Amino acid sequence: MVCVDLSTCPTFWASLGAGLSVLLSAIGAGLGIGISGPAIAGAGVERPEVMLKTFIATILAEALAIYGLVVGLLSIFAIPALTTIEGGTRIFAAGLTMGAASLGAGFGIGAAGSAMASATAEKPDIFSRAVISLILAEALAIYALVTALLLVFGAK
Amino acid sequence: MVSDTISHLLRDNYLIARLRGKRSHLLGRQQLVALSESKSQTEIIGLLAEGPYGPELSKLGSESSTIETERAVRLGYAESVMSLIRASGGDTHEFLIQYRRRIDAYALAGLVVFKAQGKTWEDYLATRQPLALMNEQELRRLYSLDDLSTIAREAGDRHLVERVKGFSMTEIEGERASLVRDVINGWGEERFFKYINEKLSGPDRENCLPIAGSAIDIANLTIILRSKIIGASGIKDHLIPSHWKLNQRAIDQLLAATEVAQALDVAASHEYYSRILTGARQKYEESKSLSFIEVALRRYQLDLSKRIFLSFPYSVGIVLAFLILKDNEARNLAAVLAGVAAGLPTDELRSLLALQD
Repeated sequence: MVCVDLSTCPTFWASLGAGLSVLLSAIGAGLGIGISGPAIAGAGVERPEVMLKTFIATILAEALAIYGLVVGLLSIFAIPALTTIEGGTRIFAAGLTMGAASLGAGFGIGAAGSAMASATAEKPDIFSRAVISLILAEALAIYALVTALLLVFGAK
Repeated sequence: MVSDTISHLLRDNYLIARLRGKRSHLLGRQQLVALSESKSQTEIIGLLAEGPYGPELSKLGSESSTIETERAVRLGYAESVMSLIRASGGDTHEFLIQYRRRIDAYALAGLVVFKAQGKTWEDYLATRQPLALMNEQELRRLYSLDDLSTIAREAGDRHLVERVKGFSMTEIEGERASLVRDVINGWGEERFFKYINEKLSGPDRENCLPIAGSAIDIANLTIILRSKIIGASGIKDHLIPSHWKLNQRAIDQLLAATEVAQALDVAASHEYYSRILTGARQKYEESKSLSFIEVALRRYQLDLSKRIFLSFPYSVGIVLAFLILKDNEARNLAAVLAGVAAGLPTDELRSLLALQD
């Protein structure tokens, strides 16, 4: 499809949405890993036995980038079939939802993961309770993933 | 304020995780009580072999003196703190440098007292504070000076010179030596208090101020009490002009007391410090020593540190809280080693320890 006016071009909006999904999710994942990583390293220096389990924070942060990538790829695969501006804006909204949510969840995972690693270094038996806030931060991104997938699959 | 918190979160989380991990390795109340029941220093050193003090204590021979053993404990403590300093950055690193400047005052006070007592440089060197910023060369130069004012001017500032005026190296002994030590230590505590009060803000200041503030207030209280014990005049000239909760009115009341016991009653009825000085008169009359005040202050600072650890973790307060806990552990351990070596009864030895509830 050749677009004359970008503001009404479904391909433009869908491409922008796909890009934002991957970009913002990667930034969110970077924040999560960047904030929690040093704390995990610090905890590992003093208590090597807790390092492996506190690593869950960086794994959950990395998952954000994967969610963003999934939404981004599905959006790209949907672009050739787009015929209306509504379809394009749905994919844009999906990308923005996924990206912005990953950004927030990334900061949450970073802060909660850092505190969890510190607390576990001090009291290893607290891990199973401290990890709950981390999972709740990850859940924010899962809500966005579900919403984004529904938006992408409904785009025409 | 928010920017301070974010900078601690982004920059200091490695350090904070490490010191929380280190906190879990600190000697607990039960362990210290068990150590105080040991029969000999060798037994204690054996029990501590696996911990952070192990490397330094293992270098000691079987005939080590109490000074050498205490020095090994202080070195173990210093190594632990230095590893944190190396891991720190930005404002937190500056905070730790200021903490070490505070220890300079303790090194200087020790130097003056040793010099006044006619001890050799080697004797002093064996007891010097390993965390102080002043290096061996500087300390040696200071040790070669004979005049207290000159030492104060070279190592301190005009405030310190003013505060030690009236003391002479030839008459620093007994309680007077303790008074000079308190005056110099108080000057160091004041510098640290001023740094916290003026340079820090938000949760950083809020968490650190009670620890630094109580230190200068109790330093002033001790200076007043000791001056009364030896009947020194011009007490006001030796006091720290800054104060936290022990304001000018309270200081005037303490100065107006005619004897130590009366001054202790005034201190014990203070609206803030009554919490740590209850029964002070009785404790003084039983022991005829002011060392219980130092133990009471340490206990109070331990409580504050424990509270900081339970609060929001991203402030420099958590660093100071750990340093207080670690310093207290080293002092307790040194007291146990010295007490066991001197054959002190267990009950008497435990009264010298500041233990967490």
